[in-house]
Formats: sequence, structure tokens, C-alpha cells
Amino acid sequence: MLDLSSRTAKIVFGSAAILIALFLFFPIYWLAISAFKPNAELYRITPTLYPHDPVLTHFATAFGRGNLMQQLRNSLVVSCSAAALNTLLAIYAGYSFAKFRYSGRRLVMVFLLSAQVFPFGLLLISLYPIVTSLGLIDSRAGLTLSYIVFALPVSTYMFYSYFTQVPSEMIEAARADGAGELRIFHTIVLPVSIPAVVTVFLYGFMWSWNDLLYAMTLIVSEDKRTIGPGMLLAYLNEVNSDWGGAMAASIMASAPIVVAFAFLQRWFIQGVTAGSVK
Amino acid sequence: MVSVVLSGVRKSFGTVEILKGIDLTVEDGEFAVFVGPSGCGKSTLLRMICGLDEVTSGTVAIGGEVVNDVPPAQRGIAMVFQSYALYPHMTVAENMGYSLRLAGVDKAEIRSRVATSAAVLRLDKLLDRKPRELSGGQRQRVAIGRAIVRDPRLFLFDEPLSNLDAALRVDMRAEIASLKARLGSTMIYVTHDQIEAMTLADKIVVMNAGRIEQVGSPLDLYRMPANRFVAGFIGSPRMNVVAAVVGPDGRPVLAGGAVFPVRTDLAPGTRIDVGIRAEHLSPAENGDEGTLSGAVRVVEHLGSDVFVHLAVEGAAYPVIVRIGGERQVRAGDLFRVTPEPSSIHVFDAAGLRVPTRSPARSAA
Repeated sequence: MLDLSSRTAKIVFGSAAILIALFLFFPIYWLAISAFKPNAELYRITPTLYPHDPVLTHFATAFGRGNLMQQLRNSLVVSCSAAALNTLLAIYAGYSFAKFRYSGRRLVMVFLLSAQVFPFGLLLISLYPIVTSLGLIDSRAGLTLSYIVFALPVSTYMFYSYFTQVPSEMIEAARADGAGELRIFHTIVLPVSIPAVVTVFLYGFMWSWNDLLYAMTLIVSEDKRTIGPGMLLAYLNEVNSDWGGAMAASIMASAPIVVAFAFLQRWFIQGVTAGSVK
Repeated sequence: MVSVVLSGVRKSFGTVEILKGIDLTVEDGEFAVFVGPSGCGKSTLLRMICGLDEVTSGTVAIGGEVVNDVPPAQRGIAMVFQSYALYPHMTVAENMGYSLRLAGVDKAEIRSRVATSAAVLRLDKLLDRKPRELSGGQRQRVAIGRAIVRDPRLFLFDEPLSNLDAALRVDMRAEIASLKARLGSTMIYVTHDQIEAMTLADKIVVMNAGRIEQVGSPLDLYRMPANRFVAGFIGSPRMNVVAAVVGPDGRPVLAGGAVFPVRTDLAPGTRIDVGIRAEHLSPAENGDEGTLSGAVRVVEHLGSDVFVHLAVEGAAYPVIVRIGGERQVRAGDLFRVTPEPSSIHVFDAAGLRVPTRSPARSAA
């Protein structure tokens, strides 16, 4: 057995961590340096490892061309609404599965989770006509609803596993104190579940923010486009591949989510480990 | 103050019957303790009185009113849980005032009632703290404070001291005893610790496997256990129980030949169990009737007392004897003891207590 405190172990695990970090961060590094390289350097046969002659022209282009700001706004609206709605629905469903006993509870839960076995793209085939018949095609509301379809089962399960860790005696004490079920949920359970709420909200948010396929398919108007398809169509289409602009726009597009993570990461980590360390 | 009457109360979870017909009355202002081994159904019974679990059949009446379908909040009760069950995001004051806030009591009144209860429980300096900033004993006092602030008709305690360390448990036990004296409310207390039961209860309800084995005052149960189970459960150390047969003159005879100085009316040859507590065996003078003897296996010095474990011929388990702390006994010594005749208990094959009389009196 490898002694975990030995020097060898430290070297093995340390190297593995560094390799994984390099593997994960290299694309981000490449994105960042490419945004600052002038076109001549960007398209050289032998790529450079850092911008020899950094420029800001791509950022200027990204601001000027297309509707970057509009698309960012669309993405924020859709992702925040989808994340909020998803959290709202999942929290009640998860609580019901975790803390109430009724016939069919398990069946409904398995059924809900079974939605996950269908590939993301496959569901789009059935979602498209539904969204169309609801008159929600090419609307941010339609896109928001379609995101919930996929995020809801896992979110519900996340809340379910969190709530099973919330001591039932605390809920029973509130019941004995005279609180009704909804009041117990809102005044006792919810305030102690902030980490789980933040975790699920971020999960739903990332799901929508990172999507390309649904946004490409369900939105056709230029003014409703979200950031993913917006950038793809503006920079990397059939006639044009402006990598520098695409990189600069990507940095600006990922900034909000990076900031959100940095701000909420304390809660996020707590949420993830809430069940294992009480 | 209020009485609690349970009639034919049964509880099943699926096909498993947890409580098999409980009939019990807890009088106004009485402190009743449900005691029994883990899984005997005592906590389930308490939860049914509280209204947290449904009654499968039978009735639960509080203050003369059947409350089977009354939600917990309307039963006029307060419950203290084993795990404190405090609301972690609220301060001590908010925890204690929560039920009053729900009941629509005005803020000034809540503040004054919380302050009064906090003073009783020495929590007045901790009112602004969150539960995570309190020690185990303080948390349990908050849990009790949360109960008394409501001025309930009936207090329910579900093993409230089992999460505390031994020293704190003794302090809190005294605190609950003084609370009982001060409030005079009806209280039902669940524990598996027979010392808590003996020290706190007006009435002990010994439960086993979903049934009540015996109900009585602590001393009644100690002196006159109705059956072998109660005899073994009440008292510390456990009562010594040895297998014997009824001899020709009605006196129990141990397999090793020792004869106990009591008589029963059972037919000679009947298999019985004889019970005698450690404190009712005394070191024997030579030639005493009914003397048990055996080699000393273990000697436990507790300061004031010494418990000697004897390997008595014919007894399946060591017989424990309590002697004075000053007496010197070593492992391996031969030790003789004489039981106090009036404290010998005889149980039949079904484990039920059999009346005994002393041989001397029957001869007279």
C-alpha cells in the first residue's frame, strides 16, 4: 500500500493534480491569449504561446459587431428565469419526495428521473412541436420552459437528497409548536437550505447558459438570440471565421458566469457537501 | 394539568405490529415514565400521544377528549426531543418564542414569557445566541424552555438526556425533577435508562415488545416485580436470576443443591426461576440455611460498595453480591452468602411472579 503521507505519494498526487489542471485550463488560456493576438500572429502556421504583440482590436470588434450586449441580456434573462423557475418547482417536489409518505411516491420519482436517460437532442424532436403548438416558438419563454424539462429531474433529486438530511425531529418540533406544513417549509426548512438552493440555481443557470442546440433550434429572430448561437453565427459561419473576435466575445460572454461562481462558490461548495458533513 | 387515557391503543407499520393493545391512565399532574429496551414501542407510544404518528386502532384521550384526529398543535402539549430539534437559524429567544408567534401572541407578551422561562432555566444570558453557539446542556435547556414557554397542559419528553454526557445527565435530571415540582403539570417521559425512571417517576410503565409489562410506583416495581422481565429491568445491577426446581417441601432447590429459605405452593419438581438482588445477599455465617457459595470471579470496587461476582454451582450466570466498601475480597476466594428471605422472588415457567411465604411463618 502506498503511504499517503510519503514523499512519493505527494509527488504522484501532486503531478496528477497539475496535469488535470493543465488539461482543464489550457483551452481557457488559449482563449485568453488568442483574444489579444493580432490576426497575423493568430493565423501563423507555428502558433505562439503568448501574444508577442498584444492588441485590443478584437474586443473593439466584438463590441461593435452584431448584438453582443443584446445577446448577453437575452442569455441572462432566459438563464435566470429558467434557473429560478427550475429551483422553485424542484424545491417543492424534492421536499415532498423527501418528507412525505404517499402511494406512488417512488414510482413518480423513478419516472421523473427516467427523463434523464433520453439524450438531450432527442427530446428536442418531441419538444419542438409542443413548443410550436403552444405558440412559444421563437420566444424566450419557450426556450426557458424547454430548459426546465431537462434540468428539473436532477434538480428535484438534488433537493430530495438534501432534504432527507434535514432532521425530521426539527420538522416535528415545528408541527408540535403549531406550524402548518407550508409554514414549516417556509420558516424552518427553507432558511436552512440556502446552500442547496444556490447549488440548484447555479446548476439550472449553467445548463441554460451553456446550451447551443435548443437555442439554435427554438429561436430564429436575431433580437431574441442568446449568446451561444449569437457568437457562433456572428463569428464562425460559412463565409467567415473570425477567431480573434470569437475569442474576445467568448471572454466577455463567460465573464458573468465566472463572477457569479466566484461570488457564490462558498455556498456552492457547502451545498455539494451538505449531505456528507453535518 | 390534564389526564391522559389510552384505551386499546395499537400501532402497526405495514404488517409489523409495534404496539399490541395499550391500556393506561396517567393522572392529572402525574410524572409517568415509559421505560423499556430499544424497540419496545415506548417512543412510538409517546409520538402517538403527541399526534406525530397516527393511531392504528384504539383511542388516545387527553383531558377527557379523544384526540386521535386532533393535530399536534391543538392538543395543548409540548414535546422535548432527544436531538433537541432546535431551529438552527433562529436565536434562543426566537426558538423559544416560535410557538407563541404562531399562536398570534403579541410581541411584548412573547418577550416577557420568553424572559420568564429563560430565567427559570438560566438561559437569560444566551437569548441572542444561535443553537450552534451553545453546549449540549444549554441546547437541551433551550429545548425544554421552548416547551415550558407555551404553558402546555401536558409535557412529553422523548429520551431528552441520552445525548448528554454522564455528568451533565445527572445535572439535567435534577433540573427536570425541580421543573416537575415547580410546574406540577402532567408529564410523560420516555427513557431506556432505569435510573432516570426510578429517580423521576411517580409512575413507571415498563414496556417490552409492544406491551405493558407492569405499571407502578418505582418502589413497587423494585420490590414486587410482576414478572421476570420487570425484575431484570428495574434495579441496578440487574437482579440475579437462577434456574431452580421446587423441592419436596416447596422450597426452591438450585441445581448445585443450595436450598432457598422460602416456600411456594407449586408442585414439587416444577421448574422455576429464583430472583434475588445483589443488595439482598449478605455474607453468610457458617452453616446458614440456603447459603449460596462459589468462587469469586470478579471484584468491582465502587468506593462505597463492592460488587462481587460469584460462580455459584448450578447457576448459568455469575451471581452478583453487594458488600460494604471496606471489606477485602480477592478473586479466587470462596465466598458464602445468605439471601434475605423476604426479598427472594420466584417466577414460574412463564416468567410470572409466584407468591412465596417464609418457611418459618408457615411452620408457625
